[in-house]
Amino acid sequence: MAPGEKIKAKIKKNLPVRGPQAPTIKELMRWYCLKTNTHGCRRIVVSRGRLRRLLWILFTLTAVALIFWQCALLVLSFYTVSVSIKIHFQKLDFPAVTICNINPYKYSAVRPLLADLEQETRAALKTLYGFSEIESRKRREAEPRSSAWEGTQPKFLNLIPLMVFNEGETSKATDFLTGRKRKVSGSIIHKAADVMHVQESKEVVGFQLCSNGTSHCAVYTFSSGVNAIQEWYKLHYMNIMAQVPLEKKINMSYSAEELVVTCFFDGVSCDARNFTLFHHPMYGNCYTFNNKENETTLSTSMGGSEYGLQVILYVNEEEYNPFLVSSTGAKVIVHRQDEYPFIEDVGTEIETAMATSIGMHLTESFKLGEPYSQCTEDGSDVPIDNIYNAAYSLQICLHSCFQTKMVEKCGCAQYSQPLPPAANYCNYQQHPNWMYCYYELHQAFVQEQLGCQSVCREACSFKEWTLTTSLAQWPSVVSEKWLLRVLTWDQGQQIKKKLNKTDLAKLLIFYKDLNQRSIMESPANSVEMLLSNFGGQLGLWMSCSIVCIIEIIEVFFIDSLSIIARQQWQKAKKWWAQRQATACPEAPRSLRGQDNPVLDIDDDLPTFTSALRLPPAPGAQVPGTPPPRYNTLRLERAFSNQLTDTQVPAES
Amino acid sequence: MQVKKYLVRCLHRLQKGPGYTYKELLVWYCDNTNTHGPKRIICEGPKKKAMWFVLTLLFASIVFWQWGVFIRTYLSWEVSVSLSIGFKTMDFPAVTICNASPFQYSKVKHLLKDLDQLMEAVLERILAPEPAGANATRALNLTLWNHTPLVLIDERNPRRPVVLDLFADNHNASARGSPAPGGACNGPRCKVAMRLCCHNGTVCTYRNFTSATQAVTEWYTLQATNIFSQVPTQELVKMGYSSEQLILACLFGAEPCSYRNFTSLFHPDYGNCYIFNWGMAEQALPSSNPGVEFGLKLILDLGQEDYVPFLTSTAGARLLLHEQRSYPFVKEEGIYAMSGTETSIGVLVDKLERKGKPYSQCTANGSDVPVHNLYRGYNTSYSIQACIRSCFQEHMIRNCSCGHYLYPLPPGEKYCSSRDFPDWVYCYSQLRRSPAQRETCIGMCKESCNDTQYKMTISMADWPSEASEDWIFHVLSQERDQSTNITLSRKGIVKLNIYFQEFNYRTIEESAANNIVWLLSNLGGQFGFWMGGSVLCLIEFAEIVIDFLWITVIRLVAFSKSLRQRRAQARYAGPPPTVAELVEAHTNFAFHPDTANPEAYPHEQTLPIPGTPPPNYDSLRLQPLDIIESDSEGDAI
Repeated sequence: MAPGEKIKAKIKKNLPVRGPQAPTIKELMRWYCLKTNTHGCRRIVVSRGRLRRLLWILFTLTAVALIFWQCALLVLSFYTVSVSIKIHFQKLDFPAVTICNINPYKYSAVRPLLADLEQETRAALKTLYGFSEIESRKRREAEPRSSAWEGTQPKFLNLIPLMVFNEGETSKATDFLTGRKRKVSGSIIHKAADVMHVQESKEVVGFQLCSNGTSHCAVYTFSSGVNAIQEWYKLHYMNIMAQVPLEKKINMSYSAEELVVTCFFDGVSCDARNFTLFHHPMYGNCYTFNNKENETTLSTSMGGSEYGLQVILYVNEEEYNPFLVSSTGAKVIVHRQDEYPFIEDVGTEIETAMATSIGMHLTESFKLGEPYSQCTEDGSDVPIDNIYNAAYSLQICLHSCFQTKMVEKCGCAQYSQPLPPAANYCNYQQHPNWMYCYYELHQAFVQEQLGCQSVCREACSFKEWTLTTSLAQWPSVVSEKWLLRVLTWDQGQQIKKKLNKTDLAKLLIFYKDLNQRSIMESPANSVEMLLSNFGGQLGLWMSCSIVCIIEIIEVFFIDSLSIIARQQWQKAKKWWAQRQATACPEAPRSLRGQDNPVLDIDDDLPTFTSALRLPPAPGAQVPGTPPPRYNTLRLERAFSNQLTDTQVPAES
Repeated sequence: MQVKKYLVRCLHRLQKGPGYTYKELLVWYCDNTNTHGPKRIICEGPKKKAMWFVLTLLFASIVFWQWGVFIRTYLSWEVSVSLSIGFKTMDFPAVTICNASPFQYSKVKHLLKDLDQLMEAVLERILAPEPAGANATRALNLTLWNHTPLVLIDERNPRRPVVLDLFADNHNASARGSPAPGGACNGPRCKVAMRLCCHNGTVCTYRNFTSATQAVTEWYTLQATNIFSQVPTQELVKMGYSSEQLILACLFGAEPCSYRNFTSLFHPDYGNCYIFNWGMAEQALPSSNPGVEFGLKLILDLGQEDYVPFLTSTAGARLLLHEQRSYPFVKEEGIYAMSGTETSIGVLVDKLERKGKPYSQCTANGSDVPVHNLYRGYNTSYSIQACIRSCFQEHMIRNCSCGHYLYPLPPGEKYCSSRDFPDWVYCYSQLRRSPAQRETCIGMCKESCNDTQYKMTISMADWPSEASEDWIFHVLSQERDQSTNITLSRKGIVKLNIYFQEFNYRTIEESAANNIVWLLSNLGGQFGFWMGGSVLCLIEFAEIVIDFLWITVIRLVAFSKSLRQRRAQARYAGPPPTVAELVEAHTNFAFHPDTANPEAYPHEQTLPIPGTPPPNYDSLRLQPLDIIESDSEGDAI
């Protein structure tokens, strides 16, 4: 015989393929309960009395239920995070600081573009509120005021008529231009009134936006004429500015040399060259200090106002647009280098003739992404194109989403946001009814009907600067005289007038201290923790382990199924045999009883061999008297685990 | 002998293990252990046996791996954070109040007379550089000037900038030709710079400024520092604003307080500062209610007319909330309060309590930081600001051999002044500009474990209102000066309200994320999950290992015995074999015939035929080990 064959035969002999050992399901269960490692089952079998057995069954089932419940809780709470807050004391990168004048363009420069609009606004003010130009500011008087505008057709008021509504009968309105009453159709949207009821007066002012050609109109009313006129002006202003090329707009706005009079950072002088231009549609030229375009990011290694950024800004109130902006000063925003400054949303305003000192504390947050929360690392998995040239943020996503929808629905882009590729800003000439479209869309956006809010997700990591702003008088009474003189000298040729203290604002931005707080999320559970918690639960209730689970699978699925299969097979065979040979005498019953080792070795009296622990001599079987083959002698044992041994005498 | 016998018997008792062979031992262990896997190995059929063997090994290795993971996690000393927000009665923060101007101009005029004249002349020269003012400069004290003069750099010709000394006869500096200094040179074309020299003017650098305002201010501050550093502190205190002058009215909760409740502290930047509730001498005052009514209300008079005109251009009060017994770093962390307004400050105490070593690298009281804390002289606690400033002063003294006026002096050192240390300005500006110095300081200083920040919500309103202006000024003037005239004005008066917000604390506390209980329960969980084991199982295992060793020892003893016997046998040339030897021959597995069932154990092999039992004679029952032992005993005797 080949050695391979030999080994094969040996394996076959030693590891015979056999089915489950128990003959019936009941016996299998009994065996399982007695032999299993889990507690409880054994008690069921061992207990005497029906009540006890029932109790034990109840306990066991409760324990199983508890295990399932607790483990389900563990699994459900698997994706939770724990937060840790750390403080580092280190050299900190100074954030980018963007400074804008509140007024976007020098009024003297944009006036030619806005002359018609200004005239009509003044006319509207006069008719609505009886405001006349004579008592207004002196400096406007020099401007030629055409009194013959009635002769020309007012194009702005025709396009979007301003109207006075009588409270109560909102369907009737007085068009202030013609003075005649006219019926207003369409929905009326109260711009401010839906928030609070402030309409004490009988009259409200508003304007009507109609979609092209159709009679579909919406009327926007405001509780105050100030808001109405400003909104109305802004709409037309955006229309006009949308047609002006960017270069011209930059030229009309302020230069860095004009805006920044002096600059001082970390004890070192800086000047306009340290500021990079950033053109904002509504704020004109803004200047960013410490932008990413600088080759190195400036950092602070000392806290305190001396070591931060100190600038003196020149804010020329005379160049302010009277209808567009009604406050004076500058706006400043602290942001990350790669972040887009949303100056209109989150800026801090700076007053003139004041020193504004802004102390910063840096907080960094890191969130865990999928599957712990719905945040996004860099926005690449958000289905919205970032139209800004900046890193992803929730605000960028929302604005981009709105702009994209705007281009989709209205065919043109809104002026105050960047242009998506292959789109134009809205203006009258190309898109006569964009305003109606815009207002509709904006309404839908605010009411979360566009789906932007659900699509956009927050960024996973962000830096936040907590600002503490305080004001002081600047320049002080005694230092005012010399300071203004020197500052005028500093400005040199750029301005031709003597500086006044209301033209200047001082700004100090600094780290209060260099403690940086990082808020970090980390997974509260790991797989190891989960498993060990499972183990704890299983062990606590039933002293069970993964082995028990394998046992259960083995016994309840494999063994039970195979027993059932075998029984069915036997039945089938029997039935077949009966059908084949009904005349055949019944076969003797299997001799299992005889093979069953009824006596345990422990109960057995010690024999010589067992006492000596001697193995039976090979070949020399102890010639014992064969036991009588009486069925009556057969003792029922729960289960025999030594069926194999029965072969030994059979062979010999 | 008795003892030895006793010991031997003890040993026998001890080693009465579950079996006398390795296999028996193993089988016994597998059968009786509480660990789940091994039991199945022995009570299953051979195929499953193999499977269970593999599974048990696998699970055991998983358990060990996971244990490793847990122990490593434990040793990484992580912390978990608990956050609590709410209101409780807390100590009101210490409030430091300073005037933005360090001194009253009327009192320091005699010291600054020369400097102010010089400054005015400088401004004159810069703004209107006509030679007409030249004769006015004759009266100036130029010793101050010569240490660190200002120069005008004419950059109208960008390739050849011309340096003009402001007070020299402005021809020596011009390189050649006529630079036309009389021309209107202003704005960005001309720059004002400061000349810093050392070694008697041999090595010079220019410190450039982009604006004349900065240059002039910096220059004046430097010169003033020079002057004030030579004046003893007692006199400086007298020159500053007194507490009576500064604090007009004070109310804490319902209790009236006055300037006497304030501790005075001389701050080099702001002169006399006054600290309320510093907690140095007496207990800190608690505040048990939120809201303005229960906070601190102050009315201050800044006396803006008496500001030093060139030293400070910002007018207002400087304010800092800080912890009791900590030094107020007003310039770094303070806020302004504007004159003519009422400033309300709602306070939230944001406290962070951290665990020290081994969880993080923070210091509890600064004793383990290699920098001598100079602010300890004020009896204040450690803070990172104090550490960094002490570190800077240390460097200053090492490099320039004198201390900077703005920081406290270590014992035995002197403040810098141009008279004693002519090169100090140059040295100081070099040091201040070097980033390496700051980074070494940052590297040396450690943050303190308890970090308290006072988060402020600041709001402002005009105060006093136009209607109430008259009587308020009248009353305050009367109280202060006992005069019927109004001596106060809107420009100098500040009202402050400092109070706790509705939630006045937010405490972030660190605790160990993984303690020993956590570790044990996880170890137990893992062991239980995979193998259903516990510590007792480990003890069982250890017991079995010991038994194993015992068996080995016994074997070795038996082997040496047999060797000796064999030697004896060789001498006697084959005596009849003893029973013990026979037994051993059978028990020894080495001689065991490889029968059909290698996994059938001796006691089971005796099973098959329940035949007639052999005679149960005790005499026939031989204990193999006893035989060996008795042999050895016999030998011993």
